[in-house]
Amino acid sequence: MVAGALHGISVLEIGEYVSAPYCAKLFADYGADVVKVEPPDGDPSRAWGPFPGDVPDREKSGTFFFLNTNKRGIMLDLTTARGRDLARALAADVDVVIENHRPGRMAAWGLDHQTLAAANPRLVMISITPFGQTGPYSDWLGTDLNAFHLSGASSRYCGRPGEAPLEHGTFAADFYGAVTGAAWGLAAVYGRARVGGGQHLDVSCAEAIAATFVGGQNIGGCAQDGKCERRTGVGMPLGAPATILPCKDGHVWMLALEPGQWNGLARVMGNPEWMTVDIFQDMYQRAQNADAIYPLLIEWTMQHGKREIMDRCQAEGVPVTAVFSIAEAAEHPHLAARGYLTEIEHPALGRVRDLGAPFKLPASPGGPTRPAPLLGEHTAAVLGERLGLDAAALAALEREGVVAKVRA
Amino acid sequence: MTATDPLLPLAGIRVANFGWVWAGPVVGQTLGFLGADVLKIESRARIDLTRMLPPFGGGVRDPDRSLSNHACWAGNGSVSLNLKHADGRRLARDLIARCDVVIENFGPGVMEDLELGWNDLRVVKPDLVMFSMPAAGLTGPLKDIRTYGLSLTSTTGLDSLVGYGDGAPIPVENAFSDPYNGIMGAFAILTALYHRDRTGQGQHIDYSQQEAVMQMVGPAFMDYALNGRSAGPLGNRHPRAAAAPHGVFPCTGEDRWIAIAVTGDDAWQALVDAMDRPAWATAPALTTLAGRLAALDALHRQLAAWTAPQDDYALAQRLQSAGIAATPVLNVADLLRDPHWRARGTFIEVAHPLGFEETIYGAYVKTSRSRIDVRPGPRIGQDNERVLKGLLGLDDDRYRALVEARAIY
Repeated sequence: MVAGALHGISVLEIGEYVSAPYCAKLFADYGADVVKVEPPDGDPSRAWGPFPGDVPDREKSGTFFFLNTNKRGIMLDLTTARGRDLARALAADVDVVIENHRPGRMAAWGLDHQTLAAANPRLVMISITPFGQTGPYSDWLGTDLNAFHLSGASSRYCGRPGEAPLEHGTFAADFYGAVTGAAWGLAAVYGRARVGGGQHLDVSCAEAIAATFVGGQNIGGCAQDGKCERRTGVGMPLGAPATILPCKDGHVWMLALEPGQWNGLARVMGNPEWMTVDIFQDMYQRAQNADAIYPLLIEWTMQHGKREIMDRCQAEGVPVTAVFSIAEAAEHPHLAARGYLTEIEHPALGRVRDLGAPFKLPASPGGPTRPAPLLGEHTAAVLGERLGLDAAALAALEREGVVAKVRA
Repeated sequence: MTATDPLLPLAGIRVANFGWVWAGPVVGQTLGFLGADVLKIESRARIDLTRMLPPFGGGVRDPDRSLSNHACWAGNGSVSLNLKHADGRRLARDLIARCDVVIENFGPGVMEDLELGWNDLRVVKPDLVMFSMPAAGLTGPLKDIRTYGLSLTSTTGLDSLVGYGDGAPIPVENAFSDPYNGIMGAFAILTALYHRDRTGQGQHIDYSQQEAVMQMVGPAFMDYALNGRSAGPLGNRHPRAAAAPHGVFPCTGEDRWIAIAVTGDDAWQALVDAMDRPAWATAPALTTLAGRLAALDALHRQLAAWTAPQDDYALAQRLQSAGIAATPVLNVADLLRDPHWRARGTFIEVAHPLGFEETIYGAYVKTSRSRIDVRPGPRIGQDNERVLKGLLGLDDDRYRALVEARAIY
């Protein structure tokens, strides 16, 4: 079997919820050896579900499953001195530590970068938090929701004017921070010899979005001209059509901006006369007349299904897409043809469908192949193999409450 | 940032970036921030759309002065090669022979038409890492799909989750997926570089933007996989219903809001106390998450009435002191003056060689060893002489002839 691209990299994850676990999953799915440390109650995402039939069971959380494939899991109570000693011993021998605890917590546990690097100067530590390790809000409590709305993204781009700014309906900020930590962290690992050792990366989920998404297209103009725009609720207010419209069985993302696209849309719609009017030949003028145009388009879209509209528009070179539900996206034949979805056998969940590799590396396949660990599933194996603990030592740890009953 | 700075982890890695618009540029820029020598391969024969995107530095409409273009190419170089010209393509291949990585975000087949496809380039540079990021990947029935960055997300299920409660989906008004894919694309390239260094083998990465973004709906996908359910728009509710209240509430002033996430029963009690224990909030049923979720709409209405006359920053401070995750909702102008982003140096002002100051984003990750120094975005062809003469060894006569023939253009 061909090794994954990151074969040889060893990662210790001391993470919970979404950001650090997804960051570590990216390493794990591409071949790194990732050991995840969980507290006695487990990663809190084990309580989030979704559970089959909505019956809570910490070994059956779909969120935990998705975020923790290809990892081995150990249980260590880091509120005990012995648990922290063991975590430090494990960190002495890995390439990467990934964590997302509130700033200061790792230091209180003696697991901060400075302490760990003293024993392991090659260590790259990736800390992912809503607001970052420094700055006036660093000690604030925050979740994905707080991080997203602190980035400027919602106020500018998401929601109707006069109504609350919106998030995406998923953990958008946590995922953004996770991906940022993975890219910058892997670069730090890759260049360790060049730069003379490891380092600490301070990733703020909110900052990554504020900088690269909102800042990328807004900050220059805002700083120079004082023009700082707000959300409109329309996809693209300056050109039309460019928004989500309802159709017979849901919604479509309607885009026909360039002349060729507008003409293609006209052909799909059977060349209605109104579309040939002079003032509708330019996307800016169409936007100024959006109140007239959108109802006419909706009259047509409401008579057709989203797949039909997408397929016919695409065939004419018009960049219209269906707004797929999760099920429709997952079941699209395109993803099946590419083998994006996969199936994994899990001891408690049985055979589970999962999203596959986020990108394809032909020479070194990636993607989830092994299920997320049961709570403490690999405690004995990892502590034995890495730290030389034998059965008697593990039994002592159980008695001290550092680990729960160790699985064979 | 200089390519020889010993403290930048990717110093010594050279990248030819054929990317344009937004996603492709951010892939290269991420590597550039970390020390790679990233060269934008572009031409006046076909100017990158975002070079014409306003606003412009000093208000002067010019492809070398687009502020948003500079933001996503900051720190990178530019070599102007006309790929419609045989000599331009030849120079591109010569340059790629001296690169570690090629990035492109055209549709499938475009690079092949330019004789710069994987099968052309693997001959030129046997251990090359080539990164292609078409909307839906290099293969499959939708491989030629036409999308814009802001609508690509509709094919992943993500857009179906954005909106108010049970209403219709609301379009996100810019391409969240572009910089997201840009950064994840950099991770993908680094995995392939790691593999190359270990095995000597290059490869062509097939990066489907659709598939990478679809990872963001993983938790919602699992509800479909396990229970056959597809969620609808969620508003600002917790995606797994694990916190309540959980939302964005109005404050005093125009378009001012506060985001509040009550993640546990203790935090709820703290909020009840902070509100001076109004009768509606002290109902015993609300002491548990299940009780609060059952009454969520009413709870959010009452909470909104309480926050509405208050100042967002002051209320956030006060709730934070009480142990509640509460933060002001910032708008674009706030980003520049907010004390937190100022303290972290998220946005920086740089002097462009054309003689104007511009504000761009700086190192948005703080690195304890590497000192990241972000420069302005490049003028078209600003690195032509350094690269074409210095690296490829063109003599002055040959260089001048290629400029006159508009191969270098």
